[in-house]
Amino acid sequence: MLKVENLHATVGDKEILKGINLEVKAGEVHAIMGPNGSGKSTLASVLAGNEKFTVTEGKVEFEGENLLELPIEERSRKGLFLGFQYPVEIPGVTMANFMKIAVNEQRKSRGLEPLTAAEYLKMMREKSAIVELDAKLTSRAVNEGFSGGEKKKNEIFQMAMLDPKLAILDETDSGLDIDALRIVATGVTRLKREDNATVVITHYQRLLDYIVPDYVHVLYKGRIIYTGDKTLALKLEKEGYDWLINDYKEE
Amino acid sequence: MEKTTKDIIQELETGDYKYGFVTDIETETIGRGLSEDVIRLISEKKGEPDWMLERRLKAYRHWLTLKHPEWAHLDIPEIDFQDVIYYAAPKQKKALNSMDEVDPELKRTFDKLGIPLEEQMALAGVAVDAVMDSVSVKTTFRDTLAEKGIIFCSISEAIKEHPELIKKYLGSVVPYTDNFYAALNAAVFSDGSFCYIPKGVRCPMELSTYFRINAEGTGQFERTLIVADEGSYVSYLEGCTAPRRDENQLHAAVVEIVVEKDADVKYSTVQNWYPGDKEGKGGIYNFVTKRGICRQGAHLSWTQVETGSAITWKYPSCVLQGDNSSGEFYSVAMTNNYQQADTGTKMIHIGRNTRSRIVSKGISAGRSQNAYRGLVRVAKGADNARNYSQCDSLLIGDKCGAHTFPVVDCFNPTAVLEHEATTSKISEEQLFYCNQRGLTTEDAVGLIVNGYAREVLAKLPMEFAVEAQKLLSLSLEGSVG
Amino acid sequence: MTERLKELLATRALPHDGIIGAGSWCAEVCGDSDITVREGVAAQLLIVDGDCTAEVNIDVERGGELRILHVVSHRSAVNVAVAMAEGAKCIMSQLVVSPSDTRVVASLMGRDAQFDFGGAFVLTDDDAASVAVDVNHISSDCVSRTVVKGVASGESHGSFSGLVYVAPDAQRTNSEQLSRNITIGNAHIETLPQLEIYADDVKCSHGATVGQMDADAILYMRQRGLSLTTAKRLQIEGFVDDVVLHLSIAGVEDVLMELMAEKLNRL
Repeated sequence: MLKVENLHATVGDKEILKGINLEVKAGEVHAIMGPNGSGKSTLASVLAGNEKFTVTEGKVEFEGENLLELPIEERSRKGLFLGFQYPVEIPGVTMANFMKIAVNEQRKSRGLEPLTAAEYLKMMREKSAIVELDAKLTSRAVNEGFSGGEKKKNEIFQMAMLDPKLAILDETDSGLDIDALRIVATGVTRLKREDNATVVITHYQRLLDYIVPDYVHVLYKGRIIYTGDKTLALKLEKEGYDWLINDYKEE
Repeated sequence: MEKTTKDIIQELETGDYKYGFVTDIETETIGRGLSEDVIRLISEKKGEPDWMLERRLKAYRHWLTLKHPEWAHLDIPEIDFQDVIYYAAPKQKKALNSMDEVDPELKRTFDKLGIPLEEQMALAGVAVDAVMDSVSVKTTFRDTLAEKGIIFCSISEAIKEHPELIKKYLGSVVPYTDNFYAALNAAVFSDGSFCYIPKGVRCPMELSTYFRINAEGTGQFERTLIVADEGSYVSYLEGCTAPRRDENQLHAAVVEIVVEKDADVKYSTVQNWYPGDKEGKGGIYNFVTKRGICRQGAHLSWTQVETGSAITWKYPSCVLQGDNSSGEFYSVAMTNNYQQADTGTKMIHIGRNTRSRIVSKGISAGRSQNAYRGLVRVAKGADNARNYSQCDSLLIGDKCGAHTFPVVDCFNPTAVLEHEATTSKISEEQLFYCNQRGLTTEDAVGLIVNGYAREVLAKLPMEFAVEAQKLLSLSLEGSVG
Repeated sequence: MTERLKELLATRALPHDGIIGAGSWCAEVCGDSDITVREGVAAQLLIVDGDCTAEVNIDVERGGELRILHVVSHRSAVNVAVAMAEGAKCIMSQLVVSPSDTRVVASLMGRDAQFDFGGAFVLTDDDAASVAVDVNHISSDCVSRTVVKGVASGESHGSFSGLVYVAPDAQRTNSEQLSRNITIGNAHIETLPQLEIYADDVKCSHGATVGQMDADAILYMRQRGLSLTTAKRLQIEGFVDDVVLHLSIAGVEDVLMELMAEKLNRL
């Protein structure tokens, strides 16, 4: 589904990604962990197509297409979803209106008719139930005045609406209390299927109790320095990153 | 028995302007009135070169074509410019060589003002240029500063000794064509301070000019020029007082600051000219043009505490010409009784990535009128300009006025500009709360006002901040009610 | 002018004496006019500018309530003066989409009067428009609120001038004034949010901002599949909608949306 080869990216003069290699297949869950500033969020942003970053080297294939050539919105319509670490507030733009446009744009690009008002409302009701999102929130402006937990639930709600092939969730667990974490994480699990894939970027093992990863990667200084299975996350939680970083330095 | 608010007011009304004394010193003045001859006379008395006289005459001729500015929110009585004495100097025998030669009466004057011209200042680490009426009395610490290549002297001396710098910079930031009072000042300015900080030098002490009007019927027209060469730093302080008189006296100063590449200048003023009595009689008319230009990466910060003068008309400004330059303006303007103030700043963004910040705190009491007037302009090429302005007004009593006249003028679509303002009064609840904790109403008001002004006061150098705090409480006397 | 507007103007024209009763009224401004809302009457008024210079004087008598929607879509210079007596209320929305000069002068003449203004101007190409809102608090215990949102793109020039005047003795005045602006392209925005206050027991605040569209919000919307153009349009709509749709006069919302959409397509 996603194939990243030797990806390098810079912001300004500073190189942040220094040769990332990653392959994600349908049905898989990958977790990306690593200390602060190692490039986790940058990787997510670059894959989504944030123009703040410049790709200087490498290839990214998504569903057999060259992802790097596509503008942000095309990537989205092709099924790449980024759950933002800090979801943006958009004053005056209601959630309902925003999602209606987004869903219909995606349908249009796939040659489908736009949803009727009734179909759309039904879809909203169903999907908002997945993350126990208060229906009232959909009539409010996008993320405006939402609590931290509501913002993250809202991200998963939008993910449910857009039904992506690949979802990259950037620290979706940060700033959540234990109940909100459970709701968000089970929401993600319920959306999991054999034909889609998930990449979760996280600091904490606790999210991975719900979303069990097939692979855990450790990103450090712009490179993936170690890949293991779900037990790696437990080890990292207990022992930190030092043992890995020390190993890496010796290499 | 508990004191009523009224009692407090009555007690406070005896509150005094403590700098209202007159120094009994023989003063040399010229006759009242203004003409080309008067200007020639001033120039001659100062022993100026011809080019300087020519500049003065040019400015004077231009001034004759100008009208008195009417746009401010001020009620300015007609000023008879022919009834002003344009030159007054304390008589001194000859040029000074050492402190001992300063007239003891003069020294006493500055001691009384809390500006001792030597020892204590040495302890405080401040170099002072003291200007009485039209001349610079004494500049301290010149030798220490000279070691670092810093020039700090009266502008009269600078004209004679550093003509190349004066020719290059004087009038380069505030040309005589700028406005009515800038033209008048350029024609008749009598003294002021000049300061030059060479490339890369960090001025080791605060530089300070102390202005004092003493003689009767005189106007004071000082001119200050500060040039901070590339990468240098200086912090400059200005203080002003005048005797209590029933007549209004005119003060029209110009301050020009050139902040070269990567230099940093901090200019602080505590303006405490005689404000007039509580009936609004007397007081200084203060018409001041202050402006600095910032080259690439330069930074200029204005801080002012304005408590004096019957009329204040003053807008210290920053022209952010160079890329990445920044300007700041922090102001507390307090008016009481019949004082009027129209003060604020202009931030002119010309270079790219320029930043400015404005914090203005107006306090109106008595029957005074207090206006903030500001301009933030972003020129076409000034990409990524940022400005934040905050202009608050505090009203004490229901006979005064507080006004805000900001202009935000943006020609560049990458600018982010924010302006916020609030108007409020000291609430009964706040006073009650303080009273309940044992504070007198007077102390409570002083406390609340100082708290309100704190953000600005914190920008002043330490010695000045303490003085300014006292001044704010003092100026408020008689206003509680 | 849209068909819908013409229809409204024809069916709900003002009476000749300008005294309007309860219900909705429409006025196309082509010359000076005087309008009165009698004591205790609640009415709605749609003002559509003609291609002209004109003054509209409105009196809202004691306890009266008037909702005004002012649409400026011609090269006009219209002054609207509203005087409010004790306990009177005026809620006004204004949409400016053409080069024009408009001035609203609201005078709160009696105690407990209330004025609430929400305006937006959307300028494109080489439009030049000025919007002025002066609020005079003459009497005590009045409340006013002014929000004006400006969008200027292309080579246009938008200017807002606001003044809140609080007379001596207009104690317990509560006033807010807000000017928010977005510039795009080579546009020029000028804003003068002014306060002139002669009473002490007042709560007055004002704010002004000039900025651009929020790049993060645009990125966010594009990540969800919206095109750049749609994301921009949505953001501008979101920016001005709360003031444009501040009040509704039945049957006018779609006219407003139409005018807006037409203008937004030119951004």
